[in-house]
Amino acid sequence: MDAAIPAPTTSLPPLTFRRLLPYWAVLQTDLRQTLRSWVYRLWVVSSILAAVGYLLYRFGVHREAGMIQSASVLTSDLLRGIVLGSMALIVVLTVSSIASERGTLADSILSRGISRHQYFMAKWHSRTLAVVVTFMMIAGLVLLGSSFLLEEDMTFMGSLMAVLTVSILLAAVVAWGVTLGALAHSTVIGITVMWIALYGVGFLMTLLPTSYPSPDRVLKRLPYMLQGYYDLAAIGELALASFGMMFLAAVVGMIGFSRKDV
Amino acid sequence: MNENAAVMVVETSHLTKIYQNRQIALNDVSLAIEPGSVLGLLGPNGAGKTTFLRLILGLHRPTAGGAKVFGKPMTPNAAYLRRRIGYIPTNPQFPKGMTPITYLDYMARLFGIPANERKPRLASLIRAVDLLNNSGDDVTTFSLGMTARLAVAASLINEPDLLIWDEPTHGLDIEARRSMLELIKRLAAEKTLILSSHNLSDVDEVCNHAAVLSHGQLIFQGSLQDLKGRIRKNHYEIDLEGDQKSVSKAVQQLRTASDIRQVVLRQRRLELMLSEDVLNSGIMAHVMTVLSEHKLTIVSIRSIGQQTEQAYLDLVEKEESRGFTRLYQPADAA
Repeated sequence: MDAAIPAPTTSLPPLTFRRLLPYWAVLQTDLRQTLRSWVYRLWVVSSILAAVGYLLYRFGVHREAGMIQSASVLTSDLLRGIVLGSMALIVVLTVSSIASERGTLADSILSRGISRHQYFMAKWHSRTLAVVVTFMMIAGLVLLGSSFLLEEDMTFMGSLMAVLTVSILLAAVVAWGVTLGALAHSTVIGITVMWIALYGVGFLMTLLPTSYPSPDRVLKRLPYMLQGYYDLAAIGELALASFGMMFLAAVVGMIGFSRKDV
Repeated sequence: MNENAAVMVVETSHLTKIYQNRQIALNDVSLAIEPGSVLGLLGPNGAGKTTFLRLILGLHRPTAGGAKVFGKPMTPNAAYLRRRIGYIPTNPQFPKGMTPITYLDYMARLFGIPANERKPRLASLIRAVDLLNNSGDDVTTFSLGMTARLAVAASLINEPDLLIWDEPTHGLDIEARRSMLELIKRLAAEKTLILSSHNLSDVDEVCNHAAVLSHGQLIFQGSLQDLKGRIRKNHYEIDLEGDQKSVSKAVQQLRTASDIRQVVLRQRRLELMLSEDVLNSGIMAHVMTVLSEHKLTIVSIRSIGQQTEQAYLDLVEKEESRGFTRLYQPADAA
């Protein structure tokens, strides 16, 4: 130490405490740190570069060869590509939210006036906001670019529904990612389990009868959705199922994390 | 229940922690810490000191038993109890990209302190720990001393009633260590403090109570005076100046005294072990007379048994040699 530590002399009035402030503190700090992280930046930059490159290529094909480039088909390809291509980074981003802080850093946060429930909720909401809002912004740019550069066959409501549907699916993935991160002993184990779960559940859902919504089927239906041919009831069912999964993830995560040593 | 009975700041009952059925970190620890105590938590590496602290903070869940803080059970979700605690971990770590101001603001918000109260508080703490000139620097670039000072400020931001500092002098230079001990002494006047330390002289200087852990077992709890007094009572060291022959003759004479169990001479240092039941003032008067008769000058005199380090070492050594028998001792034998 370089200088003496005088005892703090304070004649300030007694402190008051606000119950929700710790939640907001973790949410804001985590959101700020997520946006600064290299995983997040890599995800955004690679998604934007891939989207711009693909759209310019398709625009070039139309300009040079005169081939009609359907915006709905190509945009759905692009959105599907962005979702599946960036899944690895989204998994890292979500699983690491709690797992990477385990140990001394978590010590200095969880030893303060915050409950485990609040900490988990703040982390979950922060990562959901970061992933979903970023995806919506990238998707918005893609849709805007498509409508200018390609053969316009999309509707506004169809585009909105398509983006919302994919966002809800992503939110469910984020919820389980954060939960596994809270329950796993290390980030690497959490990521591995998350990958196995994603592939396993994804495969099992393809075996369900066609009347059941599955992420794979939703992504295949994207071109029709973009053209405005969407089934509100089916989207509602999918949203309900996704919210159910998120709720389950939150309950499992909160109970499990409250029972763990940090 | 008697409402007038003082609520213990920390009370553990049969607190046990076993990690993944592989390692027994803490074994049946029952300990009570009164308000206003400054407790030194002692023990060799791996004795369970940090585990004990983490259990009473709710960072770990006990395998058996429980911990009460301010009379209420501590759990991972007991945020209202942690609002009254200021904690410094062994090696404090800070989130990336934060300055002392943003870090302390974050810590204050984690306690739920509103902006109009936390801003003046963090400003006064930054000034108090002398980080005013570094208040805009990234905390991850701080030296050990600066890190320690920031950790102190963070542990005081919520005006806690209980301070739990895990090896606060760890890695500090002499000057910084001295400052830290002075701070502890001043804080001890108004707060309850649990201080885990390897440095027994630190504990000796600032604590009034001690608890000793060995292999996860609590082998002593009580006042520091008790710890010092229970082992090697009447054991003195005297440094002498004078003719070597006179020293030898004095030693010969002292060895004939019936109340002196052992006299050891190393160069000009005399080690005296008196009988435990003897009144030490009488026999020490005799020792002084003998030394005076041989015209020897006393350079220094000290009681070895009254040093915490010696008492602690003896206690741990004794405990380790007892082995299996410790299970079957009567409760009051310790």
